Amino acid sequence: MNTATATALRFKRAAAAKATDLQHRAVIQKAIATYDAAVARGKTRFADWQNARSHAAAIKWETINHLDRYLEQFERNVLANGGHVFWAETAEDARQHILALARRHGVQKVVKSKSMTTEEIHLNEALETAGIKTIETDLGEYICQIRGEPPYHIVTPVMHLTKADIAQTFHEKLGTPLTDNAEELTMIARARLRHEFMTADMGITGANFAIADTGMIALTENEGNARLSFSLPRIHVAVVGIEKLIPRLEDLALLWPLLSTSGTGQALTAYSSLIGGPRQPGETDGPQEFHVVLLDNGRTRLLADAEQRDALHCIRCGACLNACPIYKNVGGYTYATTYQGPIGSVITPHLRDAHQWSHLSYASSLCGACTDACPVRIDLHHHLLHNRRNSVQRRFDQPIQRLMFRAWLWAMQSPGRYTVGGKLARLAIRLGWAKSLAQPWTEGRELPEPPEQSFHEWWKQTR
Amino acid sequence: MNPARENILARVQAALRAQAHRPAAPTTAPIFPPVTNPETRFREEFIALKGELIDGAEKLREFLKPFGRIATDDTQLVREVIGDGNAGPRDCDLGVTGCDCLIAQTGSVVVSTTSTGGRALSVLPPTHLVIARRDQIVPDLASAMALLRKRYDSRWPSALSVITGPSRTADIEKILVFGAHGPKRLVVYLGS
Amino acid sequence: MRVALFIPCFVDQLFPKVAIAMVTVLRRLNVDVDYPTEQTCCGQPAFNTGYWDEACTLAKRHGEIFADADAIVSPSGSCTAMVRNFYPELLARTASLRSAGGGTGVPACVNKTYEFAEFLVRKLGVTDVGAKFPARVTYHDACHALRELRLKDEPRQLLRNVQGLELVEMDQAETCCGFGGTFSVKFPMISYAMDEVKVTSIKKTGAEYVVSGDSSCLMQIDGYLRRQNLPIKTISLAEVLAST
Repeated sequence: MNTATATALRFKRAAAAKATDLQHRAVIQKAIATYDAAVARGKTRFADWQNARSHAAAIKWETINHLDRYLEQFERNVLANGGHVFWAETAEDARQHILALARRHGVQKVVKSKSMTTEEIHLNEALETAGIKTIETDLGEYICQIRGEPPYHIVTPVMHLTKADIAQTFHEKLGTPLTDNAEELTMIARARLRHEFMTADMGITGANFAIADTGMIALTENEGNARLSFSLPRIHVAVVGIEKLIPRLEDLALLWPLLSTSGTGQALTAYSSLIGGPRQPGETDGPQEFHVVLLDNGRTRLLADAEQRDALHCIRCGACLNACPIYKNVGGYTYATTYQGPIGSVITPHLRDAHQWSHLSYASSLCGACTDACPVRIDLHHHLLHNRRNSVQRRFDQPIQRLMFRAWLWAMQSPGRYTVGGKLARLAIRLGWAKSLAQPWTEGRELPEPPEQSFHEWWKQTR
Repeated sequence: MNPARENILARVQAALRAQAHRPAAPTTAPIFPPVTNPETRFREEFIALKGELIDGAEKLREFLKPFGRIATDDTQLVREVIGDGNAGPRDCDLGVTGCDCLIAQTGSVVVSTTSTGGRALSVLPPTHLVIARRDQIVPDLASAMALLRKRYDSRWPSALSVITGPSRTADIEKILVFGAHGPKRLVVYLGS
Repeated sequence: MRVALFIPCFVDQLFPKVAIAMVTVLRRLNVDVDYPTEQTCCGQPAFNTGYWDEACTLAKRHGEIFADADAIVSPSGSCTAMVRNFYPELLARTASLRSAGGGTGVPACVNKTYEFAEFLVRKLGVTDVGAKFPARVTYHDACHALRELRLKDEPRQLLRNVQGLELVEMDQAETCCGFGGTFSVKFPMISYAMDEVKVTSIKKTGAEYVVSGDSSCLMQIDGYLRRQNLPIKTISLAEVLAST
């Protein structure tokens, strides 16, 4: 493994710090336990949850494996409804286009709804640097923004904060009286953000799905901030990863409840919306312009890897994060990249530099809970294995490890050498050398008592 | 014309030349249990979401009394039942709209820029009242999609929302709070 | 009935009592056992770390050693999963990487290799092996056994028929113990946190023993218990079933 990269070392340090933070562990595990109970209830609304997963996997397989056709159909329909489509090869292309659009329209204030894709391209920083005030309106994202921190989890941005933390943040940054009543805190945010919605020039959202046959984007939320973001400002921009495509409107009859169930345990979130274009003649309000930015940014690289292509089926529900025992102990910030948890570990070496990000695929015990949790049946933990194999093939591994495995192979190919090796291992334990050789493991644990005989020896003797 | 479009499509096509493993096919069994009594189911689901139901003109009059500033969309059923509004969406304390349909499976109200005139009236006001008819109840999401497809396939509204309960958030320690940004109260008047 | 024993390298060297217990139970059920002595390692450590060429060499060797067996039984869910679930992909993929062909295809042993509890319940149809073990125990679901081989009820059916045994479920039975092979050495603090969470869950059951089908998990849990001087003991499913 490439512990040598700076990114990997930072991860190890951050993971070690968080793994011993018992308060953090308690907060996260309580939040996830609540989630687990809600999801268990939510799944009972399906006649057959496993079959629903298979249906969803089939819909996404069809789309991703014919992606060019669906992208072209989607674009045709968006244009026919009076919207605009911009194709962005890189994060920089997307940022520059949105900035140019904002400048052309004299945009001074932007309201944003929660979008991991806009996190991925670091859009907020670009807008702020250009002097455009950018306000996150999802409560969790708003709290992160005030604190100057990125979101902690792709679905629940402030899972790691207590009421008291949030109360303190509002008190310090907004000057509001110290209250840790969740309702009061929410109403503070509501009042502040209402003004921003009313005065913003542009609303920026992501999209949970992009529907090819009607040229619409679908947005899933509970608060109503996305609806306000695409209803009040005069321009609406949606940043959409190319993998968000689905073939037909009717597919949402499955995918909406699937996303809600795996995301929060709800049958449907409070608002499942569809946007097809700007305000039409006869409509009383709505933006004058609707812009879709279709983003590649490394997705075609992942698409080209036929073995791991199904990672593009991801509907960003967060179930794999919540299932992962590593995530539950180290939390979201430790990953130090936009997409966290198992899906993040799988896709990041494809979307970003493979050498810098392969360590995430090793930071797993391969337990497989993620694969079982995924509502669209992505083979997550096996892809971690694939990433490990790719990493070795590309020689990102340390030469000493390569040498070790060659030596180990040489030993395992001969019963004689294997037997000697086994005896040495047992001797090393008995003499106490193993304790320092296996130091990372023995740091917190006792080694087993070495047996007098191996099974081999017992069999020869006793049969 | 930005070359990005051609570049991306070309990369997609090149990528798809390699075949990906196809997952096992699903069975044809229904994904959701059938909804046997749509109106009962709608009422149960809607109430469980903390929606409020109003039956009968008398109850509606009672409900409307405390609201001084009412904004309405200009749709027919709303005009018949409520009459004219006296405020706009931004300064009202009650927004009244029609709807496209009601979904029993999830207790949802479907609104669009056609059935409510615009986008903001069903999300800005602190309380949202929907004037609906019993015959607007459909069993499930699939039938709602079919209804919308039939009604709008030649000209889609620019925006639709499937509303499932009042606005809510659980971002703060998973504690449920209503009225995060959208209406704190969602009310449906079910006429005949 | 004759089976070949597939004893993982670390069970052979560090936990032979588990393999001996398995042999005891099989013989009690009139199953003849054979032990191909040239076996060493199935290749999983190399495979899991990404060294598929090295793993492939060992996989081919393993396939040849067990080529003629009618049934192969192993006291390890992870090693069984390696052979059944991963050998096909490993051998197909690595063979195609070498343009010089010569892949052996899928070895016969792949579909004849069983985990011990799986063999008893699904192949022999036996859930009562005449064992006696009066104690309060809780069961830890090893990840490979649970998710790769889909073993959940089988070990519990066997335990419920053990005389005097009281089985209590822990709330985190399916949560990984944190071993994961080299993971525990590469990311020791995360592995330790997972171990801690697991033991906390075990303690809440009031069990005297924690039982599992995988010795690597038991080693992980036991190492922690003994460092913490906790009175809970670990024991393999095979040893419980061998107990009379």
